[in-house]
Amino acid sequence: MQLRTLILIIINSLIFLVILMLSITFYNQFSKVLDDRILLQLNSIKTLKQIQVENLITTEWQQFLNQNDTVTDTLNFEVPETILKTSGIYDFTPYNTNRRSAIGFVWHRDTLTKVGLMDHDKIKDILLERAGMGNSGESYIVGEDFKMRSQSRFFPDKIPSTINVKTKGVVEALSGTVGRGVFKDYRGVEVYSVYSPISMSHLKLAILSEIDTSEVMAPLEQLQLRLLGLIFLIMIVAIILSLFLTNIITNPIHNMRKSLKIMAAGDYNQTNTFGKNSNEIKEMFEALDLLKKSLQGAVTFSRELGKMDLNSNYVPKGENDVLGKSLIKMRDKLIEFRNKENINRINTKRQLVDGLENERHRLSRELHDGIGPLLTSLKFYVENKVHDKDKKQDMIKIIDTTISEIRLMSNALMPSTLEDFGIGVALTNFVESIKKTSGISIIFEDLTQDSHSKITKNQAINLFRIGQELVNNALKHAKANTIRISLSEFDDFISLFYFDDGIGFDLKHVKLGSGIINIKERVEMCNGQIQIQSKPGSTTVEIELPIEL
Amino acid sequence: MNKIKVIIADDHELFRNGLKELLIKHDDIEVVDMVGDGNQFINAIQSIPDVNIVLLDLTMPNMDGFEVLKTLKDYNTNIKPIIISMHNDGNYIAKSAKAGAYGYLLKNTDEDELIKVIRLVSQNKKYFSPNIAEKMINFMSEHKVSENILSNKEKEVLGLISEGLTTKEIAAKLFVSTRTIETHRANVLKKLEVKNTAELIKKATQINLI
Repeated sequence: MQLRTLILIIINSLIFLVILMLSITFYNQFSKVLDDRILLQLNSIKTLKQIQVENLITTEWQQFLNQNDTVTDTLNFEVPETILKTSGIYDFTPYNTNRRSAIGFVWHRDTLTKVGLMDHDKIKDILLERAGMGNSGESYIVGEDFKMRSQSRFFPDKIPSTINVKTKGVVEALSGTVGRGVFKDYRGVEVYSVYSPISMSHLKLAILSEIDTSEVMAPLEQLQLRLLGLIFLIMIVAIILSLFLTNIITNPIHNMRKSLKIMAAGDYNQTNTFGKNSNEIKEMFEALDLLKKSLQGAVTFSRELGKMDLNSNYVPKGENDVLGKSLIKMRDKLIEFRNKENINRINTKRQLVDGLENERHRLSRELHDGIGPLLTSLKFYVENKVHDKDKKQDMIKIIDTTISEIRLMSNALMPSTLEDFGIGVALTNFVESIKKTSGISIIFEDLTQDSHSKITKNQAINLFRIGQELVNNALKHAKANTIRISLSEFDDFISLFYFDDGIGFDLKHVKLGSGIINIKERVEMCNGQIQIQSKPGSTTVEIELPIEL
Repeated sequence: MNKIKVIIADDHELFRNGLKELLIKHDDIEVVDMVGDGNQFINAIQSIPDVNIVLLDLTMPNMDGFEVLKTLKDYNTNIKPIIISMHNDGNYIAKSAKAGAYGYLLKNTDEDELIKVIRLVSQNKKYFSPNIAEKMINFMSEHKVSENILSNKEKEVLGLISEGLTTKEIAAKLFVSTRTIETHRANVLKKLEVKNTAELIKKATQINLI
């Protein structure tokens, strides 16, 4: 489930619950208070009516007693004899032929009997006074026979004693209880009702004040509606607010997810900027940026490592930058590996060159010390055994040429001077021979130590080959007129300096056969350094080899 | 007339035999022994008296020609060594001459020349043919040895410093690397026990180096 939906549901159901609880409590409280108020009011109305009715009856009774009329039967209906034997107030309604409500008085002394009827309209006036009773409130009186004694508000045309009222209130009131309650009245309509008995002499009535619950509840229902409306309104506002809130919370998370996804895909260069609407989120994005930066650093670093640029450095971002640390470890291993490989490569090359030089040396010696003496022996033989003078002369000439040739070949392969006299003398001889054969101005300056030179045999061979290569290059390609070479030996290094005034060459496009690569390799084998500068008219090569003690 | 007593020292038997055959055609020359290396030669002269000349090859096993020359010098004998070698470079010639050789011959020297040299040397004369002498002199002229405190190169550098040239300019002028000049300069300072250029010039003037 989406975070957004989750937050929306949780927040809104919380709000809904709270509002609902509040509304229900409020409603309940309100309706209870309303009930109390209504019943209280009904009670006071009923009490007032009761007192008024009782007063009226009492007043009428007194008047009846004070009438000194003798026996006059004012009744136009029959009343049982037994009733007439006892003085008091009676309810004559059941005996009334026209069934109208009638409260009667009986005075009896000895044989005298006085009977009178109370004017019922007076009671009716009291009861029909309905101030404060709303549209459905009424007060009425019920007789012992559970028939109404006063006019019903709702059935004004019916004779009251035909209306049967046997409700809970009436029953209770007739049994002498004062009370209140909500129950169905004679119409079967729910009402608030207060009731009490009216008991005077032989009169036994129940007085009730009632009001329809529906009328009382009308404002409550309105309240209900309003509350519902309010709940609805609040919920809408809450939903809108929570939508806004979830946006505030989920947008950065969403963006963060997007950023992280891009990063997970291996792209650390994204520069998306997002709205940061709170400190925490700002900090979160700052942390993300930091992470991105450190990853970028690591990526750049590893890219450089990938290009075998092992001089690049990387500072780990902290104790826990495992990636950075392992990258550094990897670089160190690569450096170690490369160094080893370099050493191996140089060693291999050295062995190859050593083999080559040894072979040249052997061949040179073979020619010089093997073939040479054989040829001289042959020459002696010719001189001793050939007697034809012309023939002898020719043969000796051929042998001498051959010996010279052998000597040249031997020297070219590896001059014995190099071994017997060192690099200085060997180069001197070499340059001397070049000067003779080429006719250009070539000077070699030998500044090596005569007796205790510390130049090793290997260095000597390499320096000699380098010298040979440089001079041969100058003669073959550079069209140089002047060559200057100096070889200086110091306590800690040997310096070979070469200059020519040839056409020069482009360092970046050195041809494989041009010897420059050979020279560089030989310098590398001797752990030396080489600097070449070339322009038309001036080419200089500086080579420095360390003195190995 | 006493014959010139000659020993041939060479590690090639064919050469030795050829040379001997050539020599013995001449009545005044007697080949008294032939040896294959320096050690054999030294042993031989212990037993053979009055050897005049040794025809000595330079390149030999066990003990080479130069060592033989040195030993002969130490023994203070009358044996006069003539080098007969395949090497025709000035350095070999110069070294041999320095070590006490009376002559220097190339192995393919003509018979006449060979005999001439043997005869001259037997008369206690040193002889180097013009060809050989030129090579020797060429080499020696290039390797003049300075007896002074400073080497020739250092002196040259000092001179240029005193003329006010910078290290770079001196390097360009002398066709050496700047580091070479720097090192030379440092060495000169060290040898003259001074600390800077000003002191160097002063001291150099004092002892007439410039």
